[in-house]
Amino acid sequence: MSLHPANLLIPLMVIIPLTCALLLNVLHGKDRTVKIISVVVALALPVLPLLAGYGTQYFGGYVPLAQNSAIASGLPTSITGSALSLFHPAITYFFGSGQKLMLFILGVVALFSIFASLYEVKRPSGVYTYLLFMLAASIAALILTDDIFNLYVFFEIAALTQVGIILVSRVKGNYETALKYMILGGIASPMLLIGIALLLGVTGNVNITDIAYSIKTGLVNPNSSVLLMACGLITFGWLYGAGLPPFHSIKSAVYSKALPNGAAMLQAFSVFMFVALGIIILRIFGYLPFTKVFIIGISLLAMVLSITMAITQTDFKRIIAYLAVGELGYIGIGLGLGTVAGITAGLFQAVNEVVITAFLFLGFGTVLYKTRQSDIRKLGGMMFESPKSAFLVLLAGFAMAGVPPLNAFQSKLMLIQATLKAGIPELGVIMILLSIVTFMTFMKAFYAIYLRSKPKDLKILEKKIPRVTMVAMVAFLVICITFGVFPQLAIGYLQPLAAGLV
Amino acid sequence: MNIYDLIRRRMKEIQGEAQKEEPVSNISTSSVLTAEITLISTIILAAIMLRFLSMVLMIFVVLALIFVAIMVMPVMPKLKREQNDSLASMMFYVVLALGIITILFYWGNLNV
Repeated sequence: MSLHPANLLIPLMVIIPLTCALLLNVLHGKDRTVKIISVVVALALPVLPLLAGYGTQYFGGYVPLAQNSAIASGLPTSITGSALSLFHPAITYFFGSGQKLMLFILGVVALFSIFASLYEVKRPSGVYTYLLFMLAASIAALILTDDIFNLYVFFEIAALTQVGIILVSRVKGNYETALKYMILGGIASPMLLIGIALLLGVTGNVNITDIAYSIKTGLVNPNSSVLLMACGLITFGWLYGAGLPPFHSIKSAVYSKALPNGAAMLQAFSVFMFVALGIIILRIFGYLPFTKVFIIGISLLAMVLSITMAITQTDFKRIIAYLAVGELGYIGIGLGLGTVAGITAGLFQAVNEVVITAFLFLGFGTVLYKTRQSDIRKLGGMMFESPKSAFLVLLAGFAMAGVPPLNAFQSKLMLIQATLKAGIPELGVIMILLSIVTFMTFMKAFYAIYLRSKPKDLKILEKKIPRVTMVAMVAFLVICITFGVFPQLAIGYLQPLAAGLV
Repeated sequence: MNIYDLIRRRMKEIQGEAQKEEPVSNISTSSVLTAEITLISTIILAAIMLRFLSMVLMIFVVLALIFVAIMVMPVMPKLKREQNDSLASMMFYVVLALGIITILFYWGNLNV
């Protein structure tokens, strides 16, 4: 076991929110205690990744024999001289610079989602904060783990937590959507598990580094039919987890049936699941040319279907939900290009999207808070009711569309440059075209909600937007501007991760 | 009849099938028109990437897509109807996707 003090913080990034979640569930009803514990732990979420040192953590086993002379000295050379000495006989968590940035961003989004959930209601719910913390812990594990079965376990926990977040939202139609999501998950999750089982059957391993090593060095036949089938099934599970077609409709429905602060966390799960499993697919099956072709193809499909669906919607929650799914396509194109520049740009886009979509959900959530209405045909005149919030939402929309000097401008520009370098300018043109449509879609919603005159029958509640929500929006804006003006701040963290995948 | 009117008529037809009494507004028709143009142009641009396989195939597919797009326009109202929240529809596409992916990954990885 690695005993470097900073490395002990690696498992704590999962254990702390997990323990807090369990505790809050028990303490439901004790409002003051729930609030205090939630605030303290939520504040710790973005701080822990900043304090933790880079390294590897091993659970329930020991370090590879090649690094462990104490155990290796007593073993025969048939073991120590073989690939077995390099394998990881433990659940391994890896924490590098890319993980640091992603966990920090996750921590910030979780912090403000939890704060908004605590301060937008009169009585904080222990059960609801339990769900948010559990989801934060699961996403952290997805980012850190180097064990594909461990990833599946946390993926399942996250999937159930998402259902819980929808169930407690009290939004009309939430039960039906949650049930549909579970039924579709009932098809996709077992497929992912079968894919992992096939991979285990062929390679005898669930550690991703070891599986990739076995395939690369020819310990297993790379063109084995079972391996190809495993690739297909794991990719299918990836589509479900991330909300790519054909799961884009249910994913957007899921976002729209959650409370805005819950939706901010749900989209963070989708993006990080997309990145985590996408990276695993590239690491294990990146040698198969069709894998990258498929990633690009499905990403294009996600962008086109979701963005064209977004512009035809009339519910603003559904509009953001579809736009969020569409933005995943940009990340996928970066990963699918398979170059350092492309993957770095894709990862940068992922980080940006988590922030921007959370920003938009919380921003448009203020409209829901004041009017209890999400149908843009019944809204209007909100600019006069909450001008500060309107201005922040406008900037969030600009960020999503890739308007300079905001963060997505830099990541989308990098993506376009990467497609040009890769000799596929068509992808760059499509991304520009869809960014313009994203901008139009956002402006359509913004005009209907804020700029149009207020409908006579629209009732606006005399409630002040909670200060914590405004602070959260300003914090997200600061991140958007910082990464937009100084993109190297993020790229410097993400590039080593991308370079390791090529 | 121009494309705008064509889209408005098709939307009315589809709304009629769904027995909705909502009017077709300018904003919804313009949105569908934008989506329609985006969809067609993106598909044609994506088809140009077939040049990596064969230039002749790319020219044939692009021309065929332009012809099909003109013939079946507007596609978006139908596509929107297909992407509804019905469980049956979602299940159909999920099972279809599973079948396509497993076949493609087996065949595609051995042949691409």
